[in-house]
Amino acid sequence: MAVRGAEERAALPVPPSALGRATRGNQRLRQRQGHSGLAMTAPFLGLFAVFFAGPLIYSIILSLRSPLTGAYAGLLNYRATYHNGAFWAGVVRMAYFGAIQVTVMIGLAIGLALLLDGPYCRGRRIFSLVYFLPYAVPGVIAALMWGFLLEPDLDVALKVPHLLGLTSSPLQPLDYRLSLYSIMLIVTWEWTGYNMTILVTSLSNVPRQVLEAAKVDGASEFSIAARIKLPMIRRTIMFITILSIIGTLQLFNEPVILNEVASVGNALTPNQIIYNTAFAFGNEQTAAAQSVVLALITIVATIAFYGIVRTRMRPLATTRRAR
Amino acid sequence: MTAPAWHSRSLVGKVFAARLATRAKTTATTALLAVAAVYVLVPIYWLVVASSKNTGELFSTNTFLPPSHPHWSTNFSSLFSYESGDYKWWLMNSFIYASAAATLATAVSTMCGYGLAKYAFSGRRAVFGLVMGSLMVPGTALVVPLFLLEHYMGLTNTYQGVILPLAVYPFGVYFMSIYAAEAVPDTLIESARMDGAGELRVLWQIGRPILLPGMVTLFLLSFIGTWNNYFLPLVLLGTETRFPLTVGLSAWASTLNEAGAGQPLYSNVILGSLVSVLPMLVLFPFLQKYVARGLTFGAVTGE
Repeated sequence: MAVRGAEERAALPVPPSALGRATRGNQRLRQRQGHSGLAMTAPFLGLFAVFFAGPLIYSIILSLRSPLTGAYAGLLNYRATYHNGAFWAGVVRMAYFGAIQVTVMIGLAIGLALLLDGPYCRGRRIFSLVYFLPYAVPGVIAALMWGFLLEPDLDVALKVPHLLGLTSSPLQPLDYRLSLYSIMLIVTWEWTGYNMTILVTSLSNVPRQVLEAAKVDGASEFSIAARIKLPMIRRTIMFITILSIIGTLQLFNEPVILNEVASVGNALTPNQIIYNTAFAFGNEQTAAAQSVVLALITIVATIAFYGIVRTRMRPLATTRRAR
Repeated sequence: MTAPAWHSRSLVGKVFAARLATRAKTTATTALLAVAAVYVLVPIYWLVVASSKNTGELFSTNTFLPPSHPHWSTNFSSLFSYESGDYKWWLMNSFIYASAAATLATAVSTMCGYGLAKYAFSGRRAVFGLVMGSLMVPGTALVVPLFLLEHYMGLTNTYQGVILPLAVYPFGVYFMSIYAAEAVPDTLIESARMDGAGELRVLWQIGRPILLPGMVTLFLLSFIGTWNNYFLPLVLLGTETRFPLTVGLSAWASTLNEAGAGQPLYSNVILGSLVSVLPMLVLFPFLQKYVARGLTFGAVTGE
């Protein structure tokens, strides 16, 4: 949704319907209606001011204050964040995490969506329902389930390689070296179906005549998928990729829960570190600065990805327009 | 390798070969889809099976096979009585937080979206800019400052302290403004005005029935979002009896590995997890359509 914001801003606001026909005679009436319009936005704006804009502004003010005295301290907390190795290690860890997990997940989602949209699929409705189910499962519960399933004492499947003599001991996916990959497995479980659902809807909007025409021209189902369907849903792919990148940088629930079940570490992700700074160390000022920095990193990452993909996409767009 | 007999040039052979190829592709597709379905369903299946075992059986019996006789009734009574029945509170709280936040978010977003779509007023562009801009702000960045602000206002550890921030739903406003602009005809509004209806009455009597499907979508998205939320209530709440399910179950899970922690905790956490997702999983087939419409909204418009 984030990028949609920037992208749509030019196209919006929707032309106000009641306007346009305003003549001198009914101007006062329009004005009164205008007041009603403003009044209708008031409840939202009130809540927004207190619970959204308020914390946002407060965090910026707080981030400029000293953790010790509470007095104005300039960029002290930002300097501390800049020199905080653990925080940046968390950011880099999430970049690594995202590079693998988001790629795999989006690839899986595209593959499943194309299979569901293709002519060789049976049981389309039941499959799309099943894939979408994890959306109804809280991240906390997903992490708990997988936390137990990835524990060799509880899951017999992890002992199989050992019993077959392939490994020297049962698999330990929650071991500190592998826990990051276990989190990837969980996050992929949670969000692949969500992304696939968005892609399937997007695919259903591809004009059927185009696909028919390609088929008449003798294109194979594979090349229809690769050369027609994929390019036509590339905006949606970009959209879900950006949402996933944002989600990765915000990762919190899954590592926290896995740490409770199996002690995988309490400072894996930036949000965990911010939480610890604020509540374990009681340093709200530096935590506020870290929050601001993380929000900025998220926005910059979003815009950067958007920029890279857009420049890469341009030739493709021209090809399509030429067609 | 010699070509099989049906690979001859006869028409019958060609039709047969094509049909065989189609069947092979269908089988391969179904197999791939089934593998993905297994990945999705295994943990849920395990949760159901494991919730019927006692702690000893969790560690001694086959992970994926049900026990000789299920312990659901013992596990249930343990779940709801452990630590003076906290779980009952969590279940009720999750329901209160989710339904209150979703109701409020839907009402407020619908009014605001409708107002933006159907009225001209100064500051309209600014409001729209605010809504779109706030979609850019990652939600978790606000949690810690929100806690400090609520602490200042005395709202931490209260129901309204959790509900009110979750009722701010900028995506809902964006969604509703587009929905109202497309779905509610101006002529209908005009004719209601001619009949002397006030603006709020127009929204209630003309707008509401037309906007209802969109409102259902918003309600569900907001309900699921609040039900699944963990970070915000974790930070804002301190008393066990105010916790929602996510925070409560996580508190239990954190004591699983402590020495001397009660053994019933394993089955409590597992059955507690199942009970917390079951209502949504059962209702999901009926709700999927509405939820999917909301999700795909941002991605598909302007495709």
